[in-house]
Amino acid sequence: MSGLEPIRRTLALARHELALLLTDLEPVIVLIAMPIAMIAFLQPVYHSMLAGLGHRHATGAQQTVPGMIVMFAFFLVGYVGFNFFREHSRNTWERLRASPARPLEIIAGKILPVLLMGAFQMAVLAGVGRALFGFDPQAGWAAFALVGASYLLCLAGLGVALVGVCRTSQQVNAFANLGAILGAGLGGALVPVALLPGWVHAVAPAVPTYWAMRGFESVVLGGGAGEMWPSVLVLLAFTAGFVALAATTLRFAETKQGWE
Amino acid sequence: MIGPGAGPAARLEVRGLSKAYGGHPALRGVDLTIEPGQIVCLLGHNGAGKTTLVSVVCGLRRADAGTVRVDGIDALAHPARARRRIGLVPQELGLYGALRVRDNLRLFAELAGLHGRVRDRRIAEVAQALGLTPLLDRRAGTLSGGEKRRAHTAMALVHRPLLLLLDEPTTGSDVETRAALLTLVQRLADEGAGICYSTHYLPEVEALGGGVVILEEGRVIARGGVAELVAAHAQPLVELLFEGPAPDLGPGFSCDVVSRDGPRLRLGAPDPARTVTTALAALGVEAGRLRGIDILRPSLESAYLALTGRRFETAAGDSAP
Repeated sequence: MSGLEPIRRTLALARHELALLLTDLEPVIVLIAMPIAMIAFLQPVYHSMLAGLGHRHATGAQQTVPGMIVMFAFFLVGYVGFNFFREHSRNTWERLRASPARPLEIIAGKILPVLLMGAFQMAVLAGVGRALFGFDPQAGWAAFALVGASYLLCLAGLGVALVGVCRTSQQVNAFANLGAILGAGLGGALVPVALLPGWVHAVAPAVPTYWAMRGFESVVLGGGAGEMWPSVLVLLAFTAGFVALAATTLRFAETKQGWE
Repeated sequence: MIGPGAGPAARLEVRGLSKAYGGHPALRGVDLTIEPGQIVCLLGHNGAGKTTLVSVVCGLRRADAGTVRVDGIDALAHPARARRRIGLVPQELGLYGALRVRDNLRLFAELAGLHGRVRDRRIAEVAQALGLTPLLDRRAGTLSGGEKRRAHTAMALVHRPLLLLLDEPTTGSDVETRAALLTLVQRLADEGAGICYSTHYLPEVEALGGGVVILEEGRVIARGGVAELVAAHAQPLVELLFEGPAPDLGPGFSCDVVSRDGPRLRLGAPDPARTVTTALAALGVEAGRLRGIDILRPSLESAYLALTGRRFETAAGDSAP
């Protein structure tokens, strides 16, 4: 057996999962089109809001683009979960487990297409933001991509943890949707945390969306790339926490209930 | 050739295998050996442990005790290595309906380490063997029931497994698909694969002509060839079918009561005509509830009945745990 076999099996699973994703593109398009529309609607509002916070040259895109990225990328948590739960509703889970693929390869194969989708979603939103709304990270695009990658890893880890914790697709769906809305609100993706009530300031650091927004803000509005590191490290710490939760709760032999 | 490729001989060696679910024993010290080219049919009613045995062998369930060796590999210690040699056809149809049949086969070929031309050739071979060639570019979800069953089976064969585990593979199949599967299984055995065939259909066992292992409450209660089991355990039986529960004809009843199972009363019958006459005379007023008389010649079915006290068809349609 070649040492590359685990990688080849993981890539085979990822390509297979991507092919399944591409058979139902409409939800993906919605996850990209809707935030673009919201960026367009909200930009004038945020222009005034950022000016009020002292960012006189901001166009508003500095808040709307990262905000919509953080909010709409969160829905990818559900995609990770559904990739597992659909195997149960198709009766393919056990035959996948009976294949030579190891559990970590199966997990990686299911996460990779979602990470790819998330990267594509971020790239399109940032690209449209730049082309139409003057979005241009002061610390550079590489720093912006690093924060984005940290956030996506964190979401993927959360998705796998939810597979361990939840018994049904409906539960994953509820967590992903409510998490996106609540996380966006608490994390400052909809309104900067500085303008939210005092109790939110205390609670916000407990959610990854806050650190993603803080990381993006430091890259977009801050003085340099160095300011993003605390946020990146906290996001990676969240990822490690979710992975630990998944490791203790995910049981491959457990039968899950997919969509009826 | 769609059977095993070059390599060590295929075989399964199970020794002292035990497994319990929440304190309820599903397997109790099961021993089973399948040699290269051998077909072993697992028989047993619902809950006998057939599916659990198959699941433990391919690593889907952990054993509580015992050993499992696949092609000489300790399957409990090295499940991933063992699974490279195993093809599992689960009872429930499992396909990626949104993808083409070719894509379904491709995934399992690649997971087994086949790539490029070798992978494509194996896909073509298994498709041809199962009559799937014209369907390779159809979405699996659009196939008929029989076609889906064949595609489902092909996914387990595409890597030429040395050990093939089929768990009630013809459940819900049409006659044509069933015949094609039996022919294929026989062919795979001829090419050297070891076959473990769990089924609810005795005619399939007789058609395959391999060894038989009968499981009852997690234990192997009999094993051997069909003829061997029939010779050792089967006798002619008379079965009386009543409306309502079969009557207890009392200690004075001279016939050999083999079993009383709901409305069915089965009597040992070295001379069936005489047994029928004796039984009818003994029934008295209970004769009014009699709805049918059946004579069961010595067969695998009557051997199964003698061993388990239950007719085999009463298990048909059930699903094992």
